[in-house]
Amino acid sequence: MSLTSAAYVARRAAQREKVRTLYRRALKDTLNWAVHRHLFYDDAANLRDRFEQNKHVEDPDTIDRLIVDAEASYNKWRHPDPYIVPWAPGGSKFTRNPPPPEGIEIIYDYGREDNN
Amino acid sequence: MALRAAILRHVRVPLEATPKLQPWNGSIRSMSSHDDHITKEEVVDRVLSVIKDFPKVDPSKVTPEVHFQKDLGLDSLDTVEIVMALEEEFKLEIPDKEADKIDSCPLAIEYISNHPMSS
Repeated sequence: MSLTSAAYVARRAAQREKVRTLYRRALKDTLNWAVHRHLFYDDAANLRDRFEQNKHVEDPDTIDRLIVDAEASYNKWRHPDPYIVPWAPGGSKFTRNPPPPEGIEIIYDYGREDNN
Repeated sequence: MALRAAILRHVRVPLEATPKLQPWNGSIRSMSSHDDHITKEEVVDRVLSVIKDFPKVDPSKVTPEVHFQKDLGLDSLDTVEIVMALEEEFKLEIPDKEADKIDSCPLAIEYISNHPMSS
């Protein structure tokens, strides 16, 4: 009995984490689709409502099915060119102008190397 | 050749007059994307202001030790929204797994102040 209940708790915890990650991704994607911030607020509220609708579902199999549906919907509407923070991989500034390694120093003596 | 030597013997270019290029001192690189890192006090201030601006939060309850769900009465989706707001405030890109673990103010402050790219 305790084993099954432990398995149940673990399954619910995994589902909660999945839903949190899904909500996070979907929220970021909503921001990608929104041209203006004031449009994003409405879209984010709608997204939140869609998650809140199934807040009180208790049956794990139903939850699994809902998660699969939501992930399919997220993948269908995923933005083709999402915003990426400039320094992050895929961002516009990724690996641009990296700092010189520790201990390396630039000496500005071009043309005056001999008569220092 | 003799003329050249004669001229060179008499012409003195004062070395001090040439503008000296100063080597930049240490960590300050202007125009670089790698600024000096923000201080911990600034991180705390800005994290708290972001949380206070969250609509469902009572601003008087917000302290640097606050836990989002236990102390502020938020749920897990609100936590996700707060972490996303913090990401935008500090221009960060937090991986999903790590963002999922940030559930309180001390954790958020620690993560952001230790992040090399937070600004």
